[in-house]
Amino acid sequence: MNKFTLNIVLMVLFFGCKKDSGYLFKILPEKTTGITFSNTLKDTTDQNILDYLYYYNGGGVAVGDINNDGFVDIFFISNQSRNKLYINKGNLKFEDISSKAGIEGNSTWNTGVTMADVNGDGLLDIYVCAVVGTNGFIGHNELYINNGNETFTEVSAAYGLDIDNYSSNATFFDYDLDGDLDMFLLNHAIHTQESFGKADIRNKRNYESGDKLFRNDNNHFTDVSEEAGIFGGPNGYGLGIAISDFNRDGFPDIYISNDFHEDDYYYLNNGNGTFTEALKQYFGHVSKFSMGSDAADVNNDGFTDLLTLDMLPEDETILKSSIGDDDIQIQELRTSVYGYNYQYARNMLQLNQSGSSFTETALLSGIAASDWSWGALISDYDQDGLQDVFITNGIPKRPNDLDYVKYISNNQIKKKLKSTNLIDQEALKYMPEGKLNNAFYKGTPNLEFINQTKEFASQEATFSTGLSYADLDNDGDLDLITNNINAPASIYINSTNAKKNYLKIQFKFSKKNKLGIGTKVFVYANGTMQYKELFTQRGFQSASQPIIHFGLDTLKTIDSIKVIWPNNKYQVLRKVAVNKSLTVEFNNEAQDFNYSSLHENKHIDFEQVKNNLGINYKHKENKYTDSNRSKLIPYQISDRGPALAVGDLNNDGKDDVFLGSSKYFDSEIYIQEDSLFVKKEFPVLKKDAITESVSAIISDFNNDKSNDLFVASGGGEFFGKAQPLSNKLYRVLDNDLIKLQLPENFEDTAVIKAIDYDSDGDLDVFVGNATISNNFGSIPESYILINNQGSFTKKSLGKLGMVRDAVWTDFNNDKQLDLLIVGEWMQPTFLQNNGGKFVDKTSTYIKQSLEGLYRAVIPFDVDSDGDLDYLLGNWGTNTKFKATETYPMLMYYSDFDKNTKTETIVATHKNDNYYTLEGLDELSSELVSLTKKKFTTYKDFAGKPINKVFDAELLEKAKLFKVYNLASGILKNNQGTFSFIPFDNRLQVAPINCFAKIKKENKEQVLCAGNYFGIKPYHGRFDGFAGALITNENNIALGHGLGLNFFNKAVSKLQTITINNKQYLIAVIHNGNVQVYNIK
Amino acid sequence: MFKFTILNKGLILFLGLYTLQSCTKNTAPIEISSTHFYNSVDKVTKIMIHDIFSPPVASRIFVYPNIAAFEIIAQNNKNYNSLTGQLKGLTAIPKNKNPKVNLNLSAIIAHIELSKQLIFSEEMITTYRDSLYANWEKTNKEELEASKHYALEVAKHIKKWMATDNYIQTRTMSKFTVNSDDPSRWQPTPPAYMDGIEPHWSKIRTLVLDSSSQFKPKAPPVFSLEKNSEFYKQLMEVYNVRKDVTEKGDTSKEISIARFWDCNPYVSVTKGHLMFATKKITPGAHWIGITKIACKQNNYSFEETVYAYTKTSLGIFDAFISCWDEKYRSNLIRPETLINQYIDEDWKPILQTPPFPEYSSGHSVVSGSASTILTSIFGDNFQFDDDTETPYGLPIRTFTSFNQAASEAAISRLYGGIHYRAAIDEGLKQGKNVGGLVVQKVKMKN
Repeated sequence: MNKFTLNIVLMVLFFGCKKDSGYLFKILPEKTTGITFSNTLKDTTDQNILDYLYYYNGGGVAVGDINNDGFVDIFFISNQSRNKLYINKGNLKFEDISSKAGIEGNSTWNTGVTMADVNGDGLLDIYVCAVVGTNGFIGHNELYINNGNETFTEVSAAYGLDIDNYSSNATFFDYDLDGDLDMFLLNHAIHTQESFGKADIRNKRNYESGDKLFRNDNNHFTDVSEEAGIFGGPNGYGLGIAISDFNRDGFPDIYISNDFHEDDYYYLNNGNGTFTEALKQYFGHVSKFSMGSDAADVNNDGFTDLLTLDMLPEDETILKSSIGDDDIQIQELRTSVYGYNYQYARNMLQLNQSGSSFTETALLSGIAASDWSWGALISDYDQDGLQDVFITNGIPKRPNDLDYVKYISNNQIKKKLKSTNLIDQEALKYMPEGKLNNAFYKGTPNLEFINQTKEFASQEATFSTGLSYADLDNDGDLDLITNNINAPASIYINSTNAKKNYLKIQFKFSKKNKLGIGTKVFVYANGTMQYKELFTQRGFQSASQPIIHFGLDTLKTIDSIKVIWPNNKYQVLRKVAVNKSLTVEFNNEAQDFNYSSLHENKHIDFEQVKNNLGINYKHKENKYTDSNRSKLIPYQISDRGPALAVGDLNNDGKDDVFLGSSKYFDSEIYIQEDSLFVKKEFPVLKKDAITESVSAIISDFNNDKSNDLFVASGGGEFFGKAQPLSNKLYRVLDNDLIKLQLPENFEDTAVIKAIDYDSDGDLDVFVGNATISNNFGSIPESYILINNQGSFTKKSLGKLGMVRDAVWTDFNNDKQLDLLIVGEWMQPTFLQNNGGKFVDKTSTYIKQSLEGLYRAVIPFDVDSDGDLDYLLGNWGTNTKFKATETYPMLMYYSDFDKNTKTETIVATHKNDNYYTLEGLDELSSELVSLTKKKFTTYKDFAGKPINKVFDAELLEKAKLFKVYNLASGILKNNQGTFSFIPFDNRLQVAPINCFAKIKKENKEQVLCAGNYFGIKPYHGRFDGFAGALITNENNIALGHGLGLNFFNKAVSKLQTITINNKQYLIAVIHNGNVQVYNIK
Repeated sequence: MFKFTILNKGLILFLGLYTLQSCTKNTAPIEISSTHFYNSVDKVTKIMIHDIFSPPVASRIFVYPNIAAFEIIAQNNKNYNSLTGQLKGLTAIPKNKNPKVNLNLSAIIAHIELSKQLIFSEEMITTYRDSLYANWEKTNKEELEASKHYALEVAKHIKKWMATDNYIQTRTMSKFTVNSDDPSRWQPTPPAYMDGIEPHWSKIRTLVLDSSSQFKPKAPPVFSLEKNSEFYKQLMEVYNVRKDVTEKGDTSKEISIARFWDCNPYVSVTKGHLMFATKKITPGAHWIGITKIACKQNNYSFEETVYAYTKTSLGIFDAFISCWDEKYRSNLIRPETLINQYIDEDWKPILQTPPFPEYSSGHSVVSGSASTILTSIFGDNFQFDDDTETPYGLPIRTFTSFNQAASEAAISRLYGGIHYRAAIDEGLKQGKNVGGLVVQKVKMKN
């Protein structure tokens, strides 16, 4: 063999190898496995998408070792035909024993399946769900008790489980901890919802569609739904169940995903046989068209997180031709009038904040849009110690295709409806198919998931619904099985094998719950911790193998394993070797587990003062929606209040409090008395109620030795030279407020900052303006009000940008105070004070393009190196906005349609192109003359980059704004120049609106807070940031652990106040009650 | 006699030129009949259905092309008077100076050209137009070219006028503000919960009315949920009528009437997992359809047809402005919302509630206006078979007069469960006032 040939051989070997081993999973063909099952759908008069809502939901998969031979067997649901059971013969060969086993079923329409040892005889039984009682569907849910010889007997009636209603799925678990397995049955409504109806109709009971909880009373199952507090209304569209002890009190809780407008349900187990549904209290928002789900600890904090699936596509063409989100006003109706929670059509990753609430991060985590998704399984497929995600996808016909709904269906369906109910292929032909790859996401240590769909497996597009994981070949890693519509089931064999270490655990618990369903396991190794719970029903209509699997990367030994049994006794195993299948047996000497130990270390730094010290101010935002007037505005500009100012207003040496208000509401002043504050009425504040007060200062502006009150007004509601836009200076005189003259200002002021910058002994004021009403994108002037013995003159600083905050510091150490100004669509701007002249030195101090949507700035020596750094509050990265240094987010500003009113169009980068964020209908709501003629179908528009939507000339003429950075973080001082270091992802979940310095034991810390709701339903809602206390760059603690109650609240201002020599914190909540905290 | 002579002279000269041409090029003149006009309007109506235009916008798409066509035929026809000076802001179209122009042909072409500008799916109309052109080209290319040239010139003139009617400005005005704290204020309705459409339509320039509020109807009954209040009684009437007709069943007269006059361009339907729309013509289009029936029944010439369509569409256009002015003044809540909130949460009207405030009833206003104008053209006691809705699966209904049809259209909204009685009674009056003004003020025919 010559060298050349050798090279070729090596190359072939190399590439051959790479191709084969490059994928984590290998999909085995049916010929190899013998699994020929396919969930084949055939439209009939009663069974079709027009007559049965969930005709395309597919069937489930359940896995378990039904013959106790050490190999996992597989059960498949066929919607319309015979269900199948395959016995695993080893070597990945399977045998169909369905007919002999007697499990093929008698119902017309089957849905979900689970395996559990229902009768406690040590053998896995099978429970099959069905839809019965509509469209001529007959039968009932079936319980197949395992006879121990690969045959089964259907005995559902004897067990009280022969339910004949609209079932999706069932799960067996011990909710009352009496030792046996009870059952939760998930049902779905089948009627099409046309009007919302009040949310409280879920309190009614409806046999067909209401969910049901059954208590196992010696192998007879008693429906205890009503007494247990389980909703059974006609509007439950139950598609997903996740069981976990979410709040870590020892009792398993239930999360139910409901499709359509019905909220998901979060049932907290009260430990006395009843549940309390508390979704709104714990979840700021949830998936709207919630489908399957999975619960697992993805960030290794020992608390179970939750992933719920929806149907948001990533692909631009599909995205822009599919029905979008609710209108903002409809969302308001839905939530405030009809009583529903906030719901948005995308996957939601709900991070459990130690049981106190859930912070939703799917956008930040890169897992929000996997298209038409059914089931998710969170597990460590590549065994690197981090959880990965597998998602089944696909829908035979996309019913939310806009062209179909608006243009095509009319002719196609109308004639069909008249002649027969059967909607044939002709009528459906024009509805696009949604055949998709199942999705893989690889976990990382920082809450982000990386899409590895193409990298983890070489797949063909399918309509996959049910899914399970199991170690089919007993090699230690997790394989995957999917149930596909109109295609053979897929078997994904994991080839991680010995490349990474693992530990597989099964349990022997009790006679009635031998497999130990409900067992919790903590694994500690080399300073890392992982946590899992054994509940088999996961994903969608399906059950996975009753084992717990940990990936351990290169770790050779596990320091300890803590097993908490379903009866809340625990035992610890020490020094356990990896790469084996471990069976842990219940030890009678196991001790009671103390759950409070899991909630320890909660260091309460902030203790909310019950009576708020008398500051009972409730801010109420008036109903004004900027996007009703400027339909393409990217966010609200009229909701940035209220103002907060602290200072002595009555010369008694004690600090008082001013709180601004939104339009139509009175601003309020609270005077500090002995131990409480008392509200004091000022007629002038009533007179000025029409203003939107967003920023305020209490200080002595006229050097009369008593303080005055400066209030800045803003918002986008008033326009032109509207008096309510003018800022106000009030002098306190004889217990009254007297208005003083200020130079004219008819801008949307966002911030005022007072300082004696010219060292002439009186206070000057920086006035930062943000926007011009009805003309978003136009930049107002910002200026300094120079104080000449109490009278002010304007010194313009020019059109700096959409200013939101500013600080006076001496950043060039010349003993003169300079201005650092931050705002939206602008670079943090360094205005250097050169003897009273302000020079823009930004490019000297920052070398990066850092244009962002900044809302707050504070100076703070975050690295304790003696120079000043700055903390910047930005939009965060948990958003549909996208911006990077290479591909900034763009905003075009112009009068595009030349009707004398300007518009802004935001575009973000995706796959080599920029696309408008807004869809065709939204763009047309403002620019109909430019869009509707050009794009007469959604298909024409969808997938077109912005330069194909609008003429190049039009875009070139527009003013272009850019945002390169959405992250909040540190502007770090490196000997005179600054570089930006983003905070970690926990602080990027929502906009950061404000900072406050907290002094503790002479050490400064910075508290930051945020959240924001002034966005369209397209963006969702920023509700999950509980605030954070920044001690230094490496020590940042989240608010929920500190006693702060900021979850689901938009905090607009923070300020400390000293009362009787004690430090307190005032937190102003937008559209909510002020909170006062005692700082410990 | 004098008139006749002049006309004759012109005709002789015209024919003379024509004969000359025909001899040299062996071409015949292009014949334009009223059928051409029907077909064009029908085509545009179909495209409007496809493109989904709301009723007020649809009325605008009808009126301007009609005016363009009418102005072309009126210029050299002593039977007709130009609308110049009679409609707000309309100035005289350029006069035709080219004897090769066939004015009727120009009228059709201008109609198509303006319609094309007004609808979205241009391809649908250009395909139609091009097939007509192909035929005419075969008949007489020169005549076609000349007529086309003139038609486009007129279309340009009308477009310029049209562009000043505030339509483009109203596209970007603010949305209707939903405020559910006010119990009487209109809210989006099931199932689509669409925004209130055209909240600024009253700012569109009227054609004949001196202002959009010229025939402002009296205020609706004061909102009240007190059992004895007039408002509550009318609310309960909607509820009880629904109950009665449901008992009578699908074949009842009331249900037939409600469905016949539905005229909702976009009814959103959800069935199983399918969402779709059933689309029909608008109220304005229905009356344009009746105009066609009347013209046909009277064997109207091309010119007479254009005249009748134009006059009717003027009345429909101003009727919508008048009606929408009131709708977004009173901003009254729909019966469906109130019944769902206070009486029966599962209640649904026979017809789908359209997405705008309740008072006054659009169909009543438009029907009142159109019927008044049609009566002035064709006379009262004009019996006709209304087959306008047959393409949408609805039967033919026979009426003894336009006024009878209008009254039935109005009351259909009560049967349909989408209006209180006051909106119907006052709406019909409002429409008759608008139509009456058009009849009184606009002198189109001598």
